[in-house]
Amino acid sequence: MVSKVLVANRGEIACRILRACKEAGLASVAIYAENDSSSMFVELADEAVLLSGETIAETYLDQHQILSIAESTGADAIHPGFGFLSERADFARAVAEAGLQWVGPSPEAIEKMGDKMTARITMRAAGVPVIPGEEIEHEDESDALAAIEEASHRVGYPMLLKASSGGGGKGMRAVHSPDQLIESAKGARREAIAAFGDGRVYVERLLTGSKHVEIQVLADCHGRTIHLGERECSVQRRHQKVFEEAPCATMTPELREAMGQAAVAAAEAVNYEGAGTVEFLLAPTGEFFFLEMNTRIQVEHPVTELVTGVDLVREQLRIAAGDAMSCGPLMIRGHAIEVRLYAEDASNNFLPAIGPLAVFRPPEGPGVRLDTGVREGDEVTPNYDPMLAKLIVWAPSREEALQRMRRALDEFVVLGTTTNIRFLRELCDESEVINGTTDTTTIDRIWPDGWQPTVPRSVEDAALMAAAVGESSGLHRGQTVASGGEETSPSPFETINRRFP
Amino acid sequence: MYHQFRSPEGPIEVTVAKHGHEWSLGGLSATIMADGRLKITNADGSTSFAHVAKVGDVWWVHAEGHTFKLERIEPGASDTDDGGGLTAPMPGKVLEVLVTAGQSVSAGTTLMVLEAMKMEHRIVAANDGTVSAVHYAAGDQVEQGVALLALDES
Repeated sequence: MVSKVLVANRGEIACRILRACKEAGLASVAIYAENDSSSMFVELADEAVLLSGETIAETYLDQHQILSIAESTGADAIHPGFGFLSERADFARAVAEAGLQWVGPSPEAIEKMGDKMTARITMRAAGVPVIPGEEIEHEDESDALAAIEEASHRVGYPMLLKASSGGGGKGMRAVHSPDQLIESAKGARREAIAAFGDGRVYVERLLTGSKHVEIQVLADCHGRTIHLGERECSVQRRHQKVFEEAPCATMTPELREAMGQAAVAAAEAVNYEGAGTVEFLLAPTGEFFFLEMNTRIQVEHPVTELVTGVDLVREQLRIAAGDAMSCGPLMIRGHAIEVRLYAEDASNNFLPAIGPLAVFRPPEGPGVRLDTGVREGDEVTPNYDPMLAKLIVWAPSREEALQRMRRALDEFVVLGTTTNIRFLRELCDESEVINGTTDTTTIDRIWPDGWQPTVPRSVEDAALMAAAVGESSGLHRGQTVASGGEETSPSPFETINRRFP
Repeated sequence: MYHQFRSPEGPIEVTVAKHGHEWSLGGLSATIMADGRLKITNADGSTSFAHVAKVGDVWWVHAEGHTFKLERIEPGASDTDDGGGLTAPMPGKVLEVLVTAGQSVSAGTTLMVLEAMKMEHRIVAANDGTVSAVHYAAGDQVEQGVALLALDES
């Protein structure tokens, strides 16, 4: 039985879960840090409780505080969302020990999949193919560096260094030649220690030209484990996904079944329960290799929801309550694409940006879904992840889905904070994206020296005019009235003058 | 009316004229709509709608799927830049300082490594030159926009 869900997260995913609770008739509790007190997710909960503390560790990661709020509010389940405590086995265990329902898999499953090296070993034993590479267990820096150096001779270049506790591209480095190895390994360890408190880094062959294809799985406690087809998430910048779609353009029914069965085997190997994602690299040869399993709901889950008609968060809640999942046989209908809107400067190495959302007007119309945790007037701060929103479109075919995404991105207006909207829009015009031949190196190959927007001079002139009219008419001071205004005699000097020294 | 906006290449001067409710610039014209947007008519008669907002000195404009950030140069203000781009792009922490004052560096050399928003950012020399000052040490917290180092370009 689940009747009241505490959402141990913030932002966009907290909104997604709180809305699912509302729809399911479940009471909900939000927890929030002081700097989130006016955030949207706080409004969507039936109750919201302020976390004491300032840093993330003192707020959204403070297990004791969260458990005591669950107790005082009478919540009987905790949904962790993604990030934060979602893949912390110790928290899942503490939740169960407090007599609450954890919306997710068992602590044992989280542990086996969460440590990437243990996951590789578990998957090999279950007959799921893994990427050629070597686990390195040394914790001491100099021992680890020596072992990485030694392993590099057997694994070969190019190779990838990955944090065993890693995720989200943190603690990960591609190494193309031996002279970069030690500096890269130190950097990966440093980032891993800072982000996860665990500097262990392992070595994998870098499989260039591969697609990132992942399989969504659902498992309930009535013995049913199913897959819901694939998502392709090859298009990444700095190892973070920006463009995700379902189905994968090059997928065949046979390959989907083979990958789906491997994903189900992976889930069953750890007695998985709930929603999870098994990530694979799909090589140009058609071979696929296990990358990792994410033991939680994923950022890009909406594309699967749109093509399968399954509400994954609702299924999570149902499974956590001990009920059987409600979905029938797998049906894939049409095509869905998601892009991640980040507050970042795509023309300057995707540097995160901050600022006010002076205007925030998402697109509307048929086949458009927006999952966000912000609205106009909010401030983008450096306190949290710079993802502002996920824009998802559905259409009957892949071609129409791309057309719809272009239209939606053109309509999306964000002023006051730099975003990657234009980058995403131009991405939709790239031939690899149009042809569905993207792989994990697509962005680096298309823009080896970084992306710069292509702006027609006529549009730039219109923008300069708009700014000049705004300034002249006092639009920013709200002085303009629709009627009236002074007359000026026609001027011969209505010009744009670009006099560059 | 005359305005100046900053661009990466240098200042751009824009003069717009007003006739009744309509603003014009060369072959372009614009009217302000009740909701504060601008309806722009191009020389070929096609129309589009622009959103504008001013934050500080910067006019943000969205037109035809493009977003522009146009910093207005206040009349009388000098157009000198803050120099070199060796400023902290975000609030963060200095992880490593890779150069010392007096050191000659070539364009592309990493001078400093910052951690901001849980990612590492490299501060790189845009030109050949000599490091004339290092203002922060590893472990220091820095605010956005502060000068991290100074480089005398050769």
